[in-house]
Amino acid sequence: MALIELRGVTKKYKRDAIEIPVLERVSIAVDEGDFLGLMGPSGSGKSTLLNLLAGIDRPTSGTIQIGDTEISNLSERALATWRARHIGFIFQLYNLIPVLTAYENVELPLLLTQLSKKQRRDHVMTALTIVGLGDREKHYPRQLSGGQEQRVAIARAIVTDPTLLLADEPTGDLDAKSGGEVLTLLQRLNQEFKKTIVMVTHDPHAAERATHTLHLEKGTLVEQGGVSA
Amino acid sequence: MKFLGLILKSARRSKRRTALTVLSVAIAIFLFASLRAVLDGFNAATEASSATRIVTQRSTSLFFSMPTSHADLIRNTPGVQDLTWASWFGGIYKDPQNFFAQFAVEPESYLRLYPEIQLTPAERAAFLEDRTGCIVGDGLAKRYGFKVGDKMTLRVGIPTYGTQDFDFNIRAIYHSAGAAVDNQSMMFHWKYADERSLRKGQVGWYVAQISNPDRAAQIAGDIDRKFANSPNETKTETEQAFQSSFVSMFGNLNLLLGSIMVAVVISTLFVSANTMAMSVRERTTEIAVMRTLGFQSGTVFLLIAGEALLMSLIGGALGVLLARAIVNPDFLQAGTFVPELRVHASNLAVALSLSAVIGVLAGAIPATMASRLKIVDALRRIA
Repeated sequence: MALIELRGVTKKYKRDAIEIPVLERVSIAVDEGDFLGLMGPSGSGKSTLLNLLAGIDRPTSGTIQIGDTEISNLSERALATWRARHIGFIFQLYNLIPVLTAYENVELPLLLTQLSKKQRRDHVMTALTIVGLGDREKHYPRQLSGGQEQRVAIARAIVTDPTLLLADEPTGDLDAKSGGEVLTLLQRLNQEFKKTIVMVTHDPHAAERATHTLHLEKGTLVEQGGVSA
Repeated sequence: MKFLGLILKSARRSKRRTALTVLSVAIAIFLFASLRAVLDGFNAATEASSATRIVTQRSTSLFFSMPTSHADLIRNTPGVQDLTWASWFGGIYKDPQNFFAQFAVEPESYLRLYPEIQLTPAERAAFLEDRTGCIVGDGLAKRYGFKVGDKMTLRVGIPTYGTQDFDFNIRAIYHSAGAAVDNQSMMFHWKYADERSLRKGQVGWYVAQISNPDRAAQIAGDIDRKFANSPNETKTETEQAFQSSFVSMFGNLNLLLGSIMVAVVISTLFVSANTMAMSVRERTTEIAVMRTLGFQSGTVFLLIAGEALLMSLIGGALGVLLARAIVNPDFLQAGTFVPELRVHASNLAVALSLSAVIGVLAGAIPATMASRLKIVDALRRIA
């Protein structure tokens, strides 16, 4: 059963009077438990597609259904609540809050829940242990390597046990070794914890870790690998 | 409460900037509380004025005197129960900078009309019996280390009183039981000043005790009518009005000090708002990340506004503590005309509230900016 269904999604940006098309009538269906790699050159619209899936941007036309929710119709407020519950987002540049420790960064999404302090601690420590950083909870981002920072960011993304993990070039700022570790971690989250993952990447080696890949070029799907489009 | 840690961490992001912002609010609130203390001091005497005392002075100005012959005519006015008088002496104690008020008073009646001047019966008797005796307020005594039995010499400051120094015996140190009488003054026998005066039988002002405060205006009118069209026309008013006009000789203090307070507070508001705006601009990505994680725009607004409020309240608390420590009679002597220079609880409450208002206003615009941030645009800015 498809967890994600995009139907005829078009996205255009307006720069002054000019309309710039970024996505043109894209339709995708991704099953629950899939690990989808989204590939394409710069400007092809893959990050925009990821933003639309995350509910941080809205399509110009078309519909996006994730699980039972048609997110393109949600209000800003409802969308924020939905994101907190269903989306875990991993950024290329990690985007950890520099003044917070690894523990506090991972705890951040849990502050929006009704969990007690002890429950939050249990969740955070579980997430940090999964990414192999259980002993770094008190470290600030500046005290961690790039790979470790990204693993903390992954812990932050999974700590609420979201429906969908979205990763925007998660290895784009890492060396090969650290990038490999992050990809292995994502694979493990997909295989062991059955997380549905959509990952944007330039790197064909990274895309190989995905169970399926899609190629975007100039806003349209040009190739598909095992995913209904 | 769970967001308080986040607010505190954010505030400590740039410790120097936060400290400077807190300090600027602290200084503004200190100035506000201190200037208000000055106004409160001036107003205290006015507010504590007796409703049963009316003051008669020359219609032209307090600087001009009146003859003692006015005394009987005022005393005989219906509604007047008792009468005393006083004159400004203006002597110099060692150095012109050692300024304090000295009043030549008709001692017996003055102490009768001003029960706020508290003396023991023995002190009172000692003062009344000694023609060159004087009494000093406990504030003045503390300031110059005066003790009962000390001798004090004043140089003449107003030529009317001749050229010879005046020697006094300090017979008592009075405590003031009300703000209508300050504790920074010295009082001595009017006769002592008058006998050396070049213009004998002159009085600065009369103070009449009246039986019915509701008739104050009528009695004042009756007194002034008695001296109408004479060389020494009078102006009689309630003690409260007299105090107000006395304070007004310094200028419109409410306007002057009020303007300074407003200018200080507004400039601090701009400084704080600018600091918060800078801080928010630097945190654009973080705010976008938080919004991506599911933080509502309202929550982001409260986090930023809360940070501004917290910084401002800490600054405000520092400011009022500083004002409380510095602006009090034990630490700061402001001089004769401000009888009670201290930061009252109401002043503290207003100053703290003001710091909260500064915080809310300073945080409002940056917090609105942050809450309205478009996530995608903010993320793209650094990508």
